[in-house]
Amino acid sequence: MRANDAINGLVLILLAVAMIAITSSFPAFPGQPYGPSLFPRVLGTLLIICGALLIWRGMAARRAGAGWVEMAAWTRQPWRIVSFFLMLGSLLLYILVGDTIGFIPIAMVILLALFLWFGVRPLVAVITAVAATFVIHWFFATMLRVPLPRGLLDSIL
Amino acid sequence: MDAFITAAGLVLHFDVLWVIVASAAFGMFVGAMPGLTATMATALLVPVTFFMDPVPALGAIVTATAMAIFAGDIPAALLRIPGTPASAAYADESYAMSKKGELDLNLGVNLVFSVFGGMVGVALLILCAPVLAEAAINFSSFEYFWLALLGLTCAIFMTTGDPLKGVTSLIFGLLINCVGIDPAAGFPRFTFGSVELLQGISFIPAMIGMFALSELLRGAVSVDERNVVLAQKIGNIFHGVWAVLKKYWFNFLRGSALGVFIGALPGAGADIAAWISFAISKRFSKTPEKFGTGHIEGIVDATSANNSALAAAWIPALVFGIPGDSITAIVIGVLYMKGMNPGPTVFLQNPQFIYAVFIIFVLANLLMFPLGWAAIKSAKQILRVPRNILLPIILLFCLVGSYAMTNSFYGVLIMLVLGIIGWLMEENGFPIAPAILGLVLGEMLEQNFMTSMIKADGNALMFFERPIAGVLGAVTVVIWGFMLWRGFMGRKATLAPTEPDPTGA
Repeated sequence: MRANDAINGLVLILLAVAMIAITSSFPAFPGQPYGPSLFPRVLGTLLIICGALLIWRGMAARRAGAGWVEMAAWTRQPWRIVSFFLMLGSLLLYILVGDTIGFIPIAMVILLALFLWFGVRPLVAVITAVAATFVIHWFFATMLRVPLPRGLLDSIL
Repeated sequence: MDAFITAAGLVLHFDVLWVIVASAAFGMFVGAMPGLTATMATALLVPVTFFMDPVPALGAIVTATAMAIFAGDIPAALLRIPGTPASAAYADESYAMSKKGELDLNLGVNLVFSVFGGMVGVALLILCAPVLAEAAINFSSFEYFWLALLGLTCAIFMTTGDPLKGVTSLIFGLLINCVGIDPAAGFPRFTFGSVELLQGISFIPAMIGMFALSELLRGAVSVDERNVVLAQKIGNIFHGVWAVLKKYWFNFLRGSALGVFIGALPGAGADIAAWISFAISKRFSKTPEKFGTGHIEGIVDATSANNSALAAAWIPALVFGIPGDSITAIVIGVLYMKGMNPGPTVFLQNPQFIYAVFIIFVLANLLMFPLGWAAIKSAKQILRVPRNILLPIILLFCLVGSYAMTNSFYGVLIMLVLGIIGWLMEENGFPIAPAILGLVLGEMLEQNFMTSMIKADGNALMFFERPIAGVLGAVTVVIWGFMLWRGFMGRKATLAPTEPDPTGA
């Protein structure tokens, strides 16, 4: 997804203005003119300048015939869009229900779903998903002692 | 000398050597896989190194990146796809050589000159770093402020085809870094009452998101692309390399020297070194017409340059704490987490760590010979690893890696959000490396800026009063002036739709 620079610039300016607005609630220290709000304000101002330059450039490109938003070629094939969001969705799923379900089952589900979607043969997909989950779990949970969420398997493990 | 012996003791330890060999193999694999870069190898390694002592942690990163930069040459020769951006400069040339039937010679030259170039880079790192550290010991907040700003300036100026987007990306990185407790007064900024945001945007999940997840997203939409490997047998790769060395020894020296110089500049790394040295080789060649037809000359220059740049990038990183490229930016983040603030004081207080890095670099380059040979011999098997199995596994690895950094879902969330931002940035031509530099250097920049402001009490001239600070400040101001001037003069050129930078890190 390639947006016109004017859109990018506008988003950046909005971000910078919001940040500067928030800094006004930061405390000042008596007798000290340089408080925690100074650095973000300097950066915010610079970002606004960059944003303005981007808008100006984007408008010029627009006059030269460029569109507002250009989608990459792959977005015309729906299955590729699904691939894209399946990757993001896997992460989101882990964040949302990882604690209750636990690492091992959810990792297997994520791997299996992605493998099958990407066209790996079912038998290979199942074996690889199980093996990869246990290797990664062993490496991080046993070797490096990362407290991966146990979830459903809490009573068994 | 005592420190050197301590360092040797630290490195020549079974556990450390095991880590080095394992990361070497990992680096070879990642480098040889098209689409997985040396930076991504580092991003994937960091969560693992987090749990190690400093020496094996640094050893893992040094070895893996050195191997990955070399291994990127293999698919360039076999597929015409560079394994890492550092090999992009001569991928066409390599492929043309392979098609001419000189695949063996090409791979042999790439391996031998990668090792030699790496050695030159290490030698200069060992010679220069301690000397510079001695000079840097007297620096005050003014010098560090300018140094950090100069480093960031170079990052924008050197690595991006579009300086405006480079600057924007950098400022964005610095702004993200403002989230959390501010370094001067200890006030929580932009936390919106969240306890987790108090610790700031954790650097490692952010980096995994921007460098690895965004790469995976690009891979996921083209997962069905098949690699067509040349059906050539790989024979004796060392045959004829000696003749090349005798004929092109000057190219090797020039490439390595240029690599060291560019690598040592803050912000520019192995990929820029390869592009520039390849161009210079062509410019000064006696037979420029042979370039593009599968000619070895430019490859000698460029393959030496990218490996020497890799080592030289550690000079500013170790001496000033200012990264020479995106890999050393990650390294600096790792050093901070290990409680070793990079800078001249490390040379005084913990010289054994510095020597350990030197020893590891030498070991890594020696190890490159046998492992590189093995990687070349098994290249066809490596390139046959199906991407549709590899991508989901790497995704799971990223997920666990960022979870492990915070021991909570907060890390995964940071990775997810910054991964999407990183992907959008790349799609829209904003380079990612400056944002990561901003994230790493932000705290140091702000701390030195605030200290200097308070010391100077608003008097801007104070920033230039000390001699070295004055010079650094003047150089920075001149570079900015030049950039603005060029921006105004070359405005017409920027009106054309901009392509993503081919050299982007």
